[in-house]
Amino acid sequence: MLSTETLYLLYLSTGFTVGFGHCVGMCGPLVVSFSLNLKEKSIFVPQMLYHLGRIATYAILGGIVAAVGSFTVMAAQLERIQKSVMIFAGVLIVLMGLAMAGWLPVGRIFGNQSSPGRWISRGFGKLLKVKSNTVYLPLGLLLGLLPCGPVYTALLGAARTGMEAPAIYSGVFAGMGLMTAFGLGTVPALFLVAKLADMGWLKSRDIIYKVGAVIMTLVGIFFIIRAIRF
Amino acid sequence: MTRYRRVNMLMKILLTVLLLSFPVSGQAGDSNRELINCDLHRGACTRNLSGSTVTLTVTPRPVRAMQDLLFQVSFSDRLPPNTRHPYIDLGMPGMQMGPNRVQLKSVGNHTYEGRGVIVRCPSGRRTWRATVTVPDFGQTDFIFDVIY
Repeated sequence: MLSTETLYLLYLSTGFTVGFGHCVGMCGPLVVSFSLNLKEKSIFVPQMLYHLGRIATYAILGGIVAAVGSFTVMAAQLERIQKSVMIFAGVLIVLMGLAMAGWLPVGRIFGNQSSPGRWISRGFGKLLKVKSNTVYLPLGLLLGLLPCGPVYTALLGAARTGMEAPAIYSGVFAGMGLMTAFGLGTVPALFLVAKLADMGWLKSRDIIYKVGAVIMTLVGIFFIIRAIRF
Repeated sequence: MTRYRRVNMLMKILLTVLLLSFPVSGQAGDSNRELINCDLHRGACTRNLSGSTVTLTVTPRPVRAMQDLLFQVSFSDRLPPNTRHPYIDLGMPGMQMGPNRVQLKSVGNHTYEGRGVIVRCPSGRRTWRATVTVPDFGQTDFIFDVIY
């Protein structure tokens, strides 16, 4: 039986290695899209807020799975909403790509005040123009629910820790702590990818920016297809 | 536009494409299907381990991801004395999924059992690997298909 400190270190290092070995491939399109969408603005605060939201979701899931003491019971419930979250992420990337290239008439599509979907238009309008960095926190909270193999594996361990804990509350705290450590470990890899997309030359030339927007849109469509197959 | 500027622009476009497309490059198809050496959906699989025969059975069948599974490992011979209990590491060939270890306990007759879960990879890849390790003795890989 490993000590609690060793377990936290193990989860942190697992997050770090999995970040470079897995997350960059699976969640990279998201952070690259956010990075490109920010144009000339600094990516640091928005990216950190996104990761904070994502880690908070992992921690909540870790607490729940530790309290329930069964990964499969929670996963069965979670699977129902994950498909919708995946589709949302895909649509978001597509919209960001189209808006970035100037091909999406945001004002015409989302700006109609008499439309019954006014709240949607306002929400997407804000998201696409991103005047405030705070939007990235709820985005992280929501996208933390995206289905992810290594997150599942980490939750398996959190459930085991919860089962072995002497009391429910200590199991819940341990589960939350372990998932927080795991989430923190994944940040460097994803931030590095976002930073690569933040290079000046990438955002400065219009044609390069448009090529990036096309690929982003394709990545978004790929996300949606993957969600439908999930 | 001068030749140098044209080449420079082309290089930048190629780099942009590379940067934005590498996130999906690892998700195209399951290229590890040819590594499969075992059909756990049909029954037990047998591999050699340091001169001994190891048989792995996973139930319930067919083997599905995201459900509680019972892993049973049987050895043809008694393990060397003072050998620690064997364990199974579950992972995907060519894809990091985080450490997922099934601890095994002896149930007698050279047989060990443990419970575990194979998680689902949203990329759609279904080829999984179970590495049976006997500490200080050796390890062997069972590569198989999992139903999502």
